[in-house]
Amino acid sequence: MKLKVLLGALLWTLVVSAAHLHLNIGFDQLREIVREWMGHKRKTLEVGFIPVT
Amino acid sequence: MTQHSDTGSEFLGRKFSEFATIKESLIARRLDASFILAPLAMQLVASGVPVKVVYLGHRDGTTLMVGKDSRIRDFADLRGKKIAIPNRFSNQNVLMHRMMKQWGMAFDSIKLIELAPPEHPTALAAGSIDGYIVGEPFAAQSELDGYGRPLYFTKDMWPGFISCVLVVRQEMIDEERELVQELVNGIAKSGKWLDQDMSHRMDAAEIVGKHFYFQDPELLKFVLSKPPDRVKYTSLGPLKKDFDEIMELAVEMGVLKERLEFEQYVDTSFVTPIETIDWNLDQLPRPAAEGSGK
Repeated sequence: MKLKVLLGALLWTLVVSAAHLHLNIGFDQLREIVREWMGHKRKTLEVGFIPVT
Repeated sequence: MTQHSDTGSEFLGRKFSEFATIKESLIARRLDASFILAPLAMQLVASGVPVKVVYLGHRDGTTLMVGKDSRIRDFADLRGKKIAIPNRFSNQNVLMHRMMKQWGMAFDSIKLIELAPPEHPTALAAGSIDGYIVGEPFAAQSELDGYGRPLYFTKDMWPGFISCVLVVRQEMIDEERELVQELVNGIAKSGKWLDQDMSHRMDAAEIVGKHFYFQDPELLKFVLSKPPDRVKYTSLGPLKKDFDEIMELAVEMGVLKERLEFEQYVDTSFVTPIETIDWNLDQLPRPAAEGSGK
């Protein structure tokens, strides 16, 4: 019984955490955060334009 | 899309509606790179802003429009008329003076007024101007809406016409050379892909219209196909003879106060033979989040 409660709580925590990451952070953003932690910061260049040829 | 889009570098497009704000953003270093008008780039360098032209955005792609039912049939008929240009420091302004010179007209024989590009078609529809010269798709817009008629395409007035150029701040050139190179390579390769096949242009019109420019894809399809050489995306390396001609005319008409040497405002070191740019372009960019222009 104790094992069932423990597994259930663990599963519930995982599901809620995954939902939180998806809804509040986003997996793309999470991937960027992990990349930065690993020292692979994405280089960014902002380019101005007018929607004209 | 560029070489490392899926793995490393990220290029964010920031959309503006007129060139004055872009100029201020470049001066204040809120922007490190931008597509701007060629004479405006020269003027920025002349006034001490550390930027360099590294590539062209396209060739041709500008049209001189008049009212559909107007009696204007050739350039001489524009004498005494009011024509909108996008900016004093635009190559469209230089082109109008080049044409006036060719047709033996005095520089003040046509009244040129500055208007932000998106306002050109509405001003023609309202009758407050007799015509306008601007980069696409704002020229084609009045044609598609039924009240504008192309008088001349730039390919017929000044073949290989240069309108927008890519300028990058010198700090980026010095400190992030690889990133700038990747951007230039991306433009070169995308341009080649666009000019390879009409179906590529139609695909691009769908993607760019819906996710980047937020304009009607049908308008962009019209611009990219009628006629197909209305705008070109190859031969985008900046050439000295082209820029020297713009510089000479700009100084002659008083837009620029002093003559600059080509090397002072252009860095050609990022131009590489297109065959040497080796990466797969056989996929379209991922749609960006709305408004990001990514």
